[in-house]
Amino acid sequence: MLEKLERPDEVRRWKGRIPVSHRYTPGVAGDVFFTALRDRGVLLGSRCDSCDYTYVPARLFCERCFAELSADAEVGPGGRLVSFTISYTGLEGEPLEQPVAIGLVRPDGADAAIVHRIVETGDEPLEIGQRMEVVVKPDEERTGSIHDIDGFRPTG
Amino acid sequence: MARRVAVVGAGMTKFVRRAQETGKELAWEASRAALDSCELTLDDVDAVCLTSAPDAFDGVHMKGEYLSDGAGAFGKPFIRTYVGGGSGVFTAIQAWYTVASGMADVVLAVAEEKMSSTQPHPQGAFLTIFDNVLERPLGPNLLWIFALEMNRYMSVYDLDKRDIAQIAVKNKRNAAGHPAALLGQSDITVEDVLGSETLAWPVQRLDVSPISDGAVAVVVASEEAARRITDRPVWIDGVGWNLDTTYWTNRDLVFPEYVANAARMAYDMAGVTEPRKQIHIAEPYDPFDYKELHHLEGLLLFEPGKAPEAARDGVLNRDGDLPSCPSGGLLGVGNPIAAAGLMKIAELYWQLRGDAGERQVPGTPERGVAQAWGDLMQVGTVVVMGRDGVSRSSGSSPPATSDTVAATSLPVVQTPPYATAGHPLSDAQFRGAVGAVDHAVDARYEWDAGVAVGRFLDGLAEGRILGRECRGCGRVLVPPRMFCERCFRATDSWVDVRHSGSVETFSICHVAWDMTPLDEPQLPAVISIDGSDGGFLHVLGEVAPDDVRVGMAVEAVWKPEVERTGSILDIAYFRPRATGD
Repeated sequence: MLEKLERPDEVRRWKGRIPVSHRYTPGVAGDVFFTALRDRGVLLGSRCDSCDYTYVPARLFCERCFAELSADAEVGPGGRLVSFTISYTGLEGEPLEQPVAIGLVRPDGADAAIVHRIVETGDEPLEIGQRMEVVVKPDEERTGSIHDIDGFRPTG
Repeated sequence: MARRVAVVGAGMTKFVRRAQETGKELAWEASRAALDSCELTLDDVDAVCLTSAPDAFDGVHMKGEYLSDGAGAFGKPFIRTYVGGGSGVFTAIQAWYTVASGMADVVLAVAEEKMSSTQPHPQGAFLTIFDNVLERPLGPNLLWIFALEMNRYMSVYDLDKRDIAQIAVKNKRNAAGHPAALLGQSDITVEDVLGSETLAWPVQRLDVSPISDGAVAVVVASEEAARRITDRPVWIDGVGWNLDTTYWTNRDLVFPEYVANAARMAYDMAGVTEPRKQIHIAEPYDPFDYKELHHLEGLLLFEPGKAPEAARDGVLNRDGDLPSCPSGGLLGVGNPIAAAGLMKIAELYWQLRGDAGERQVPGTPERGVAQAWGDLMQVGTVVVMGRDGVSRSSGSSPPATSDTVAATSLPVVQTPPYATAGHPLSDAQFRGAVGAVDHAVDARYEWDAGVAVGRFLDGLAEGRILGRECRGCGRVLVPPRMFCERCFRATDSWVDVRHSGSVETFSICHVAWDMTPLDEPQLPAVISIDGSDGGFLHVLGEVAPDDVRVGMAVEAVWKPEVERTGSILDIAYFRPRATGD
C-alpha cells in the first residue's frame, strides 16, 4: 500500500492558505492599562492583597484566588533585569544587521515582569539583577500601544 | 464502578456580537458566576476542564493554555478538549469522567469563544473543514454543508420551509426573557424568517444562529461533595458520544446516526428505555433551525421526519409536552460555539432545579437531555441529567423528599444567569479601541493529495472516475481510500465507476465564504456516483436553479483533455442527463 516516492517533486499537492487575520482588543483591564500609558506615560498594574501579588500589565482578576482587581497600582518606572537575550537572527533565521537585546524586567512595585526591548545598552555588558528604567516615547507620539514604550534602559 | 456525579453550580456571561472583555476575562466572569452560585471558591476546585472551538477564532494558538487563568486553572490539573461544535457538551462529559473516576471531587468546566477577533469573517477559519484537495478547489463555504443537509432533510420528508422556520421563531421567542440573550424577540413570526435574505437556499439569514462572544461555566461534583454543596444537585445520569465517517458525502444526511448512537449510550447509562416518556425537557443543538428537528429525531425523541409535526402541534413549546430549547438555544441566545453547547447543560441545571425564572418550563420536569454536534457534521455529544426523585430505571416516579433539605439554609435564589459581563462593543469602539492590534496569520500550506486521492486525480486527468473496492463490506468507495474505515482493512482494487450519478442534495448559494454577495448563484451538490457506494461534492451547470431536484440524474462534463491538470476541477460540473441512458 505504501509506495516509495521516486520523484518527490511530482507529488500532487494543493496549495492554499487559511484566509484569516485578527483584530485583538485589549479587554477591560487592558483598556485602562493602555489609556494610562498613552495619557500619562505610566505602567499600571493590579494588586491582589490577599495573594500579596502585583500583576503588570493590569488584570481584571487574580488568577490565584479569582478576586476582582482594580487597574490602579502604578509600578516602575525603575525596575530590575530578570533575564535577557541578544538576538542575532530574524524570524526566518537571517542575520540581523544590528543585534537586538530583549529583556524581562520586573518594575519596582510589581511581582510580575514585562518583556520588551533593551535600549541604550552602552558598552557595559548586561547583568541579570541590574537596575533598569522604562523609556517611554514623548507625550505627543504615544498612541496607546506597547510601542509607546521604547524599551528599558540600564541605569547602573 | 463509576461514582455518581452532579452539577451543583452554573454561570454565564451575556452572549454578545463583540465583547469588550478578552477571552480570559469572559472565561473568568462565567467561572466566577458559577462558583458564586454554589458559594465555592477557587480553593474548592480540584481540577479544571476547558473547551473552546478552533484556535483560529480567537486567533490564539494553544487557546487552552491562553484561557487557563480565566478558567481558574492556575496550579491545578487542567485539560482542554475540542470536538468542534460538540465541544461544549463534551466538556461536561469530560468533567463527568474526571469526577466519576475518582480523580477529583469538584471540577470546574468552562467553555469560551470569542469569534469577533477573526477578520474578515470567522468562516475563513472554517474553510479547512472541507477536504483541501477534493473540495476546497470548488470554492465552498460553510453554509453549503448545512444547506445541503437541510435540503436533503426537507426533500426526503417532503417538508415545507415553514416547518423549519417555526423553530427559529420558537427559539427567538423563548430567548426574549433571557437576560444573557443576543437575539431574543417576542414578536418574531414565521413570515420574518421566510422573508429574510436567502444565503444558500434553503438557508436564510434567520435560519442561522449569529456569531457571538461569550463564556459559560458549570461546577461538577461527586455525590458526597454535591450533597455538601447543595440540597438540590442535578445529576449527570448518562453521557454518550459518537462519531460518523469523516467522508461526509458518503453519509446519510437525513438522519444523524451518530447522535442516535451517542443518545443510546447515554440513555443506557441513565436507565432510560422510553426516551419520549422519560425525558421531560430537551436542549438539542440548534445552530440552524432544521438542526433542532434533525437532532430531536437523532435523540430518539421522535420518529425520523416526525419532529416538524410535533413542533406544529406545540409539543416543543415551553408549555408543551416536551419543551425543546426553552433557553432560546443558539438561535435566540447566541452561538459562541463551545460556550453555546455548555449553555445547554447550564439550562438543564437551572430548569431541573426550578431556578430558570421567566424561562422556567411548567410542570416540575425531572429529567432532561442536552446535546451538541460538530466536527465535520459528524460528532454527537449527549448528556442526560435528572434531579433527585427520579429513579434510575423508571421515568415518572414522583420526586422523593430529600432528607437533606432541612439541614441547610439556602441563599436567596436569583434568576440565573446573573453575570453582568459581556459588554458589547460597537463597530466604532472596536475600530477605535485603545491598544488594539491587527495581525494576519502568515501561514501557507501545501496539502499532499496522498496515495488514494493522488491516483483519483490522475484518473480525472485521464477522464476516468476511480473508486476503491473493499471486499470486506462489498462497497465501492468514492472518494477512494486505501483503507476501509468500517472494516479497518486495506481496500482491494481500483474500479472505474460511471461518469453519471444522481443529485443526493443541492443548494443555491448566493454568498461567498465571507458573506459577500455573488453575482451568479453557485449550485453546489452532493453527487451520488453510479456504480459506487459513495459520491462527492461538486457543482451543477447547464441547469436553471429552479429546475434542480433531489434525485435528478446527472452526468459529468469534462474539461478538454489538454486543460486537465489532475484536479477535481477537471470535471467542469455535472449537468442533467436524460434518464434511461
